[in-house]
Amino acid sequence: MKRNNWWKSILGVVLYGLLVGSGWTAGTLRYATVGEPPSLDQHVVTSDLATTIAHHMFEGLYTFNAANSPVNLLAAGDSLSEDGKIITISLRDDVKFHNGQAMTSVDVVASMKRWGEFGSRGGLLFSNVDSVEASGEYEIKITLSQSFGPWKNLLAFINGGPAIYPASVMEGATKEPIEPKNYIGTGPYKFSEWQPNRHVELVRFDDYTSPSGAADGYGGERKANFDSLRFMPVPDAGTRVAGIKAGDYDYAESIPGDLYAELDADSGVNTILNGGPIFGLVFMNSKDGPLKENFELRRAIQTAIDKTPALQVAIGPEGLWRANGSFLPEGNVWYSESGAENFSKGDAEAAKSMAEAAGYTGDPIKFMVSTNYPFHYDTAIVYTKQLANAGFNIDLQVYDWATLIEKRAQPDQWDLFFTHHGFVPDPILISVMNDNYPGWWVTEEKAALKSRFTATSDPAERQAIWSEIQALIYKQVPTMKTGDVYTYNIASPSLQGLGEATLIWPHFWNVSK
Amino acid sequence: MLSYTLKRLLTLLPTLIAASILVFLFVHLIPGDPAAVLLGDTATPQEIAALTREMGLDKPLWQQYTLWLSEVAKGNLGQSIFFKAPVTSIIADGAQTSILLATMTIFWIIIFGIPIGVLSATRQGSWVDQLTSGLAMFFASVPTFWLGLYLILIFAVGLGWFPSSGFPSIFDEGGISNLRYLLLPSLTLAAPNAALIIRLVRASMLDISREDHVRTARAKGLHPTKVAIKHVFRNALITVVAAFGFTFAALVSEAVVTETVFSLPGIGRLVVQSILRRDYPVIQGVILVIVVLYLFINLLVDLAYAMLDPRVSLK
Repeated sequence: MKRNNWWKSILGVVLYGLLVGSGWTAGTLRYATVGEPPSLDQHVVTSDLATTIAHHMFEGLYTFNAANSPVNLLAAGDSLSEDGKIITISLRDDVKFHNGQAMTSVDVVASMKRWGEFGSRGGLLFSNVDSVEASGEYEIKITLSQSFGPWKNLLAFINGGPAIYPASVMEGATKEPIEPKNYIGTGPYKFSEWQPNRHVELVRFDDYTSPSGAADGYGGERKANFDSLRFMPVPDAGTRVAGIKAGDYDYAESIPGDLYAELDADSGVNTILNGGPIFGLVFMNSKDGPLKENFELRRAIQTAIDKTPALQVAIGPEGLWRANGSFLPEGNVWYSESGAENFSKGDAEAAKSMAEAAGYTGDPIKFMVSTNYPFHYDTAIVYTKQLANAGFNIDLQVYDWATLIEKRAQPDQWDLFFTHHGFVPDPILISVMNDNYPGWWVTEEKAALKSRFTATSDPAERQAIWSEIQALIYKQVPTMKTGDVYTYNIASPSLQGLGEATLIWPHFWNVSK
Repeated sequence: MLSYTLKRLLTLLPTLIAASILVFLFVHLIPGDPAAVLLGDTATPQEIAALTREMGLDKPLWQQYTLWLSEVAKGNLGQSIFFKAPVTSIIADGAQTSILLATMTIFWIIIFGIPIGVLSATRQGSWVDQLTSGLAMFFASVPTFWLGLYLILIFAVGLGWFPSSGFPSIFDEGGISNLRYLLLPSLTLAAPNAALIIRLVRASMLDISREDHVRTARAKGLHPTKVAIKHVFRNALITVVAAFGFTFAALVSEAVVTETVFSLPGIGRLVVQSILRRDYPVIQGVILVIVVLYLFINLLVDLAYAMLDPRVSLK
């Protein structure tokens, strides 16, 4: 080939390629995420993004229906002994792992043990578990040291929950997340590849056997209509919106509240509200500093704050937030107004006298917040101003999230810190219920109520006790709820089967385009 | 030239070791713990401490450093804490995007920056000069995220000519045609850099055009175009070459904003995300590669000087 023709050929190929383009197969769902998950190992990681991806691959014994009640997934049925101490769970016998192996009780027991010892939420259940054993090829028996009401809710919550892996994967698995090559589950999609910074891809699992029954929430029939699901990190919200409009993505998460009205009116985009709101929490230090055991001073801080202006500033449109004092939203079985009259008083004068009565003399109160989550920072700015008006000397310390997490583990470093909590179907999963969570709320009153709360399985009794716990939270103020935030996602109008609202994490079985 | 090059390559070694110590120290001295980031918000301090121990991050810093350095000497930059994949392959993938992006950007800078700069210098004071200078000032001042988002709105959302974001590898489905994903980002990156090159070429050419040898060339009756290209532009090129060298290195390593707006899996975004996640092996690896890149480009620029200007001695 002559020299001058050589470069012309290359240029021709490049131009042809640029004009023709590659295109995507219609069978791929393209999901624009805000970032990348730390890992997809559901036992140890509680990131919502990780679950959004991973619950297509990994399944637990139970899941939640649209009413947030636990329903069978890999379990076929269960029974509870009269004293509430022995749980017998029968397993479905038609389930296969992505490696082709059939799922049996050996895999379930191995997964439960690893989750119980190292899982993020495993300790909650396993602090009451004496043993877990296989009582048949498709049956397991859990023996509890005492009756534990929320056991089924804990087994159904897949985020930081008991996903079922093959026993071979669980062998030697510890607190460190398992490697991607071991992402072997039973779900309708199986792991294909994780290209750092580019995408995580799952492909349809052809040997999947779906649970029976009509689809209801995460329960019932699961049908994988897409050939593959591709989750791509698109950190800029403007780019995620433009990508949906340009047809480059089918679904995009975490869109800023400011854009809601415009996008809701746009026929080229579907907006999907998350049914389960997230809520901000300002934790108070129960282990060290001026707020330790000084409940009166904590109540003074609580009284100083009016939550509504902060929600207006931080979130925006009224449809996306609710100044709701109940820890679980209205309409939920756990909704309670108990203690909520103290949620948002915004009374600076009353707060000032309460602080004086509590012995506050103007010492700095260290308030840690991160800019990684803009709504944390915006809310903290409003609170700092309101607290200053009530005579508090707030030392606002702004960090990146990784630094804040490290500092909050050191009791002498802070007095208040801002975080947020995802929607959970059982209040036992709210972080303030965990005695070891930074803030370290451990009081006799809490211990007594918590013990009653977990000992009973009776729904009405548990709801009544939860109301008492919520009242105690408003009295001892280990944390301040900042209000409900309804995040929303957007999708291409061509996606069918998404439903009106997302339950907790979006799912794409039974969805097509 | 060969002995000079070898000598320069040898001096890179202590620079690299010093850089590696600094990078290692800075990365580990900033507060924050990868175990805490990995386990998420619900993890208790006890759980975080347990995972930190399991990952060997509780060992003394000097032990961690010597362990890391001995692996680096064998060509192994370690394993990413988050991706559980070799750092070298993660960097290689990021480098593919960054180098292609930087190359396309340099292409646009050459295509637009140099001819317009020459035109502006040869028409000094004319309306052409004023127009190009004004446009150059505008593009040098416009923030890249703003320009990027507007290019997306016009060419991806409005006209549908180009993809809005992302960049599938040229080794994946689509092959070479995936380069179209880089057209808008490279134009975004090229705009401020081309503007600076226009100003630089113009200023250098005007400086040189006042020198004696140019006056002599004109006095000899040479055609003005020949004077501009052969006597003025060639001499101005020395400054421009240095600028290109460092622009290329900066484009590879610092295009964070453009990579974020266009969701490109490049080196810049990789290092920022890794810092936020405290993925120590990736941060150390990327910064080491960036240091090598800068040192190497510095060397190339020095060699280019000698080739372009016979007065420059490499001894």
